[in-house]
Amino acid sequence: MAGRGRGRRTMSFSIDAVGINRGDSLPPSMQQPTPLFPVMEQKPLPLAGGEEAEYLLALKQEFRGAMRSLPCFIQPTAAHRGQSHFHLNCVLCQTLEKKEEQESSEEEEGEEKKKQEEEEAEGEEEYDEEEFEEETDYIMSYFDNGEDFGGDSDDNMDEAIY
Amino acid sequence: MTAQEVRLCGLLLREHFGEVVEKVGTHLLRSGAQNLRTIIHETGISLDLVKKSLCVLVQHGACVFSSGRKGPGSPTEYQASSDRILRILRYPRYIYTAKTLYGDTGEIIIEELLQRGHMTMSSNVKTVADRLTQNMEEGRSMDYSEVSSAFSNLVETHFLQRCPPLAGLGTTDASTPATPATPANPTTPSFPDCYKVPHMTLIGRGKRQLSSEDGEEQRNAKKAKLDSDTHGDEGIYWQVNFERFHLHFRDQAIISAVANKLDQTSSEIVRTMLRMSEVTTSPTATCTKPLSANEIFRSLPSSYNIPRPILDQYLTLLVDDPMEFVGKAGESGGGMYVVNLHRALANLARATLESVVQERFGSRSARIFRLLLRKRHLEQKQVEDFAMIPAKEAKDMLYTLLSQNLVQLQEIPKTPDYAPSRTFYLYTVNQLPTARMLLQNCYKTVANLIERRLYETKESKRLLEKSQRIEAILASLQASGAEPEQLTEVEEMITAPEKQQLEALRLHINKLDSAENQVDETIFLLESYVNSTATPAS
Repeated sequence: MAGRGRGRRTMSFSIDAVGINRGDSLPPSMQQPTPLFPVMEQKPLPLAGGEEAEYLLALKQEFRGAMRSLPCFIQPTAAHRGQSHFHLNCVLCQTLEKKEEQESSEEEEGEEKKKQEEEEAEGEEEYDEEEFEEETDYIMSYFDNGEDFGGDSDDNMDEAIY
Repeated sequence: MTAQEVRLCGLLLREHFGEVVEKVGTHLLRSGAQNLRTIIHETGISLDLVKKSLCVLVQHGACVFSSGRKGPGSPTEYQASSDRILRILRYPRYIYTAKTLYGDTGEIIIEELLQRGHMTMSSNVKTVADRLTQNMEEGRSMDYSEVSSAFSNLVETHFLQRCPPLAGLGTTDASTPATPATPANPTTPSFPDCYKVPHMTLIGRGKRQLSSEDGEEQRNAKKAKLDSDTHGDEGIYWQVNFERFHLHFRDQAIISAVANKLDQTSSEIVRTMLRMSEVTTSPTATCTKPLSANEIFRSLPSSYNIPRPILDQYLTLLVDDPMEFVGKAGESGGGMYVVNLHRALANLARATLESVVQERFGSRSARIFRLLLRKRHLEQKQVEDFAMIPAKEAKDMLYTLLSQNLVQLQEIPKTPDYAPSRTFYLYTVNQLPTARMLLQNCYKTVANLIERRLYETKESKRLLEKSQRIEAILASLQASGAEPEQLTEVEEMITAPEKQQLEALRLHINKLDSAENQVDETIFLLESYVNSTATPAS
């Protein structure tokens, strides 16, 4: 990629076209990242005010607030079985709810079993971890990094230490 | 769906339906049609929550389901569309329009329908009557029949439409208008092609007079479950017809543009023409059906008592105006006139683009931009001459516009080797791609505004919670009849600087919300323009 011409100093763009003349210094080098918000030449127009705009604003905020209290707003914790006050007046959802109630009773039994299994697995895992930590083939002092060396005898500083 | 659209849809879903629905929705938007198992697997959300999210999305029309692509027996596939979710930005405008056209009753009907997505007429009427009753004085209540008639008015003028039946796996066909109903007997719910056939009967469930006693009961039992009375319209769900609202907005935009450019009387004439063509013009028509000057004269509102020759002069003025809102289609009947809908949209979009360039780069750059829009292709020298701007500055401005992709460069070679000295370089502006680009910028802008608002709220979360707690304490104290000293003591729990901070926060949030509404107006204009060019001429 460095110039094809042998020994000749050519660049892919002609130096006049870019606008750099002889003797001009290069622009100052960038020493920090570009600003977070670019500078605007023109200030933006102010927001349109007026009665209609304010009423629309109030409608918007009320709508948002109202949506939060409706059953359509799903919290991640609403998955607790049997506790969701999730009444949608939609045929699709009503059949879904019935199925949910059927399944939730099955789920309860399934979850209890799962919990027991998980505890056993965890116990095993912990056991494995401890095993790995203690049983190594190397003496633990092999892994010392020498910090303790030479800190013992501070009494006789006359003797040279070889 | 572009990345900006998906990002904005995600934020809108989060604000209105919660984070779970946001995750499911954005996943569907990015991956296209998928079945339930794949969604669960790829999002990592539990089956329960995914089902609920899909329910919510389908209920609000953001997602459709259809049988799998691998033929019958393969699992149902779900597909989300970003257009419907982006409409959420426009909800306040729909509600406000309903208020101006049909009063408070219409406003609450539309608001309830937008909140719930789909509703039966009976449940909607009941909920609306309850809400209106609560705002009325003691002892007065809202009659169901009044709400029903407002509902049927909305259906008559196509602002509301039926949802397609859920039987089988049908795809939603939201563009079918529903024509007026005859108040009649309850129909059987299993009406087969009701979304294809325009006729649809209004369900008259016996005129239940909401007496004052019932009103108070309803007020106390605010959280009562839906009562299980049947009203004969089970299974017939209604939704808001956004396209009809959009036509209304389009007409309003044209009328106000005429009022701004010419004068009030001209805008009234155009309003009359549009009103007369409401039922005869299809939503995708390029222009209205021709109307004769005689007809227009007869249909003008009586308050505008202009003599016939003056009307002719106004019409000639409108036809000659460069904005081309009104065109002349013939000479019979005193002159046949049409409103050029698509051209009006194109001109409104063009005005928006010019305004954007003017506000970002100054009036001289805007002059160059307008010049290029009119003259199509110009060389650099010609731009300098026509715009009457010194060469050096014109070059600078052109390059700035070029770097922002508002102006494009077209090379026309004189020789096959494209040598720079022997090639014409022409500057040009393509209106449609530029409009698309600005539309994406608008989506990005709204997404940024929402994110900033969420950030501001999060920063002051502690303070907001504190103020809410104190308000709750105050309310309960007042209800239980406390002394003013106790009240002031509680009020003083918020210090003055905190009050200032809360006030500043409120101001910022209002500004950001208001800005979202305003950007949505631009989005509407640009979207209408882009969509009008996309539909093939029938």
